[in-house]
Amino acid sequence: MPLVTADNLVKKYDELTAVDGVSFTIDEGQIFGFLGPNGAGKSTTISMLSTYLPPSSGDAVIDGLSVTHQAEKVRNIIGVVPQDIALYPTLTALQNLKFYGKMYDMGGENLDKRCQELLELVELWDRRDSRVEQFSGGMKRRINMAAGLLHHPRFLLLDEPTVGVDPQSREHIFETIFKIRDSGTTILYTSHYMEEVETLCDYIAIMDKGKMVASGTLHELLSVLGEGGVIELKIAPPGCHAGLEEAIAGQNGVTSINHQDGKLLISSKNSAHSLPPVLKVLEDTGCTVDHLEIYTPNLEKLFIHLTGKELRE
Amino acid sequence: MRQLKRLWQITLKDLLVMGKDRGSWIVLLLTPLAIIMVASFALGPAFNGELKSKLLAVNLDQGAIGKQLIDGLDTAEGLDVVEGTEAECQSLAVGDKKYKTSLVIPADFSSQILTGSDTSLQVYVDPTDNINRPFMLGMIDGAASRLSGMVTSVRVSVSEVIKFAPEAEPVTVASDAALAAANQMTGNPPVAVEISNAGTTADINMFDTQAPGYSVMFLLFGVMLGAEGLLEERDKGTLGRLLVAPVAKTSILGGKLVAQFLIALVQMTILFGVGHFVFGMHLGNSIPGLILMIFVTAFTATAFGILLASVVKTRRQATSLGTLIIILMSALGGSWWPLAIEPDFMQKLGHLTINAWALDGMNALIINGKTLTDILPQAGVLFAYGCICFLVGLRLFKFRNA
Ligand SMILES: Nc1ncnc2c1ncn2[C@@H]1O[C@H](COP(=O)(O)OP(=O)(O)O)[C@@H](O)[C@H]1O
Ligand SMILES: [Mg+2]
Repeated sequence: MPLVTADNLVKKYDELTAVDGVSFTIDEGQIFGFLGPNGAGKSTTISMLSTYLPPSSGDAVIDGLSVTHQAEKVRNIIGVVPQDIALYPTLTALQNLKFYGKMYDMGGENLDKRCQELLELVELWDRRDSRVEQFSGGMKRRINMAAGLLHHPRFLLLDEPTVGVDPQSREHIFETIFKIRDSGTTILYTSHYMEEVETLCDYIAIMDKGKMVASGTLHELLSVLGEGGVIELKIAPPGCHAGLEEAIAGQNGVTSINHQDGKLLISSKNSAHSLPPVLKVLEDTGCTVDHLEIYTPNLEKLFIHLTGKELRE
Repeated sequence: MRQLKRLWQITLKDLLVMGKDRGSWIVLLLTPLAIIMVASFALGPAFNGELKSKLLAVNLDQGAIGKQLIDGLDTAEGLDVVEGTEAECQSLAVGDKKYKTSLVIPADFSSQILTGSDTSLQVYVDPTDNINRPFMLGMIDGAASRLSGMVTSVRVSVSEVIKFAPEAEPVTVASDAALAAANQMTGNPPVAVEISNAGTTADINMFDTQAPGYSVMFLLFGVMLGAEGLLEERDKGTLGRLLVAPVAKTSILGGKLVAQFLIALVQMTILFGVGHFVFGMHLGNSIPGLILMIFVTAFTATAFGILLASVVKTRRQATSLGTLIIILMSALGGSWWPLAIEPDFMQKLGHLTINAWALDGMNALIINGKTLTDILPQAGVLFAYGCICFLVGLRLFKFRNA
């Protein structure tokens, strides 16, 4: 039973279509990842889901509530962690959290307890009385995240929460996200780092230029490239042997052959086992190898495969 | 009810943020206090008539009447007579010290008068001096008129005396009478003109004329900071965070405006309070009237702030456009010098500003001793001004960056 259903969301700015007909569902308890380069439309999608921006067309339903018609009610059940640090720099960590808690009508002991709980979760309870402006990037990110969690949201939207943090803080943020998920919160996570969504997300949507270009579990997505591994070859002269591809396809373990940018992508169940026979075929046909790369499939490669460009420009 | 609670929490948060911002307090309080002090000590005497104008004079007259005239002018209020030579009087300078006006009493002044002939005084003026000249010429002219009046009455009385005492020597009678009359020059004139500050009993002091104007100007600079703060919240995303929480837009803006209004009230109260308790500035005869003016002025300034935040796109624009408008309004609206000394059309133009209406009301209370009911029109106009700014500002304000 999906908690979130987005139906053909579109956001247009004058000339530019920032989000161009995006549809997806997010199951309860899932961490759903949006992966895409800067400008892909991830934040804009989050803005529409969080009722910050009205969609140009389309709608999304969160726990049975429409973001376009029942925005007020939606706001009570969602938590938003914006891409930028949205905190009052001169107020302390605790003052920031208390203020945001009060915006959800929390107060008294209830609020005090929740603030302590969250500050302990992000391991900043000791620094609760320090001004946010004195914190490191990673610490600010953690408070920024805590501020979206005060009211126990059912659905948490995290927009690139690890931008500009050191690896240690990132690890820490990941642990926190798993804890939040384990407490029953459904999460939408956006990033332009493929390792992040690979590690965190149960379900991944790849976005580019306002469109979802692929979606599925990590396994489903990578199977497009091959299961065990990929041997990437650039051979010279191009088309040096007419029967080359058929010859390779017949080798042990090879499952498929694709072309990309003049390169040959050979998917196989086990690259290590398939490589010697493939090289043998090349030698027999008199082709020379310009470039050889063996890798296990990953989202970076998938993104290049899907869009013809690198994820990180 | 919930929205009201949230509104109030936003107000409290803003007050907390403001309270911690030392830079703002410098703009809100320290700068205006410093400027009010400088302006009061520098300009207060001029506006209060405490500044003495100096008249360079030479008395070439061998008789007694010239001396009496000089003494008469010297004792006049607001005037000091400095004696010089004839050449110094003609060049309006003694050494490197320059004068704006000089008076030469001719050698035969007394004898001409005593023998019944007409005579004249020579006055030299600095053509660039537009401020002092009317006053100086008025003073000299006044003294000359009094002398002429006396001479005429002496002539009349001499002819009367001769009618009844044909044996008397006319010249002796005339000169005795003229001398007696000239002696009156240093005394009080028979018809004295008593100048008082209209409507008030207390003497105004230099802070009374300067403090309100600068207070209103820095009140506007204060709300400009508020407008920048609002736009900063929009830029930094804290406003966005409230928009995706169950907080109504009216509560968000309302909370911020209530905070701004309270800050403006505190600012005005402290400026007037320091003026009164530290520098002895008068608060007029009607404290309720002054409180009303402070409230309405703070309200209208707050409304001006939201209007400013709505018409600009960025924080930088708020600063540059805001500064321009505030400086213009302060100059036009009488924050720097009294509107009353300006030509009619400038006064009319000045009343397009918040400053003019606020200062009309405050000056009426502080300087002219008016009461609450007297300043209701000014307060009313100012309130309407604020309401219009509010409505337009709230309509135009964009919660999201374009
Ligand atoms: N307010 C706006 N006005 C015009 N264009 C915008 C606005 N916000 C975002 N965009 C454009 O929309 C596209 C998607 O932006 P965004 O959703 O922020 O991407 P992402 O979060 O994936 O980096 C970008 O090309 C961006 O320049
Ligand atoms: Mg983004």
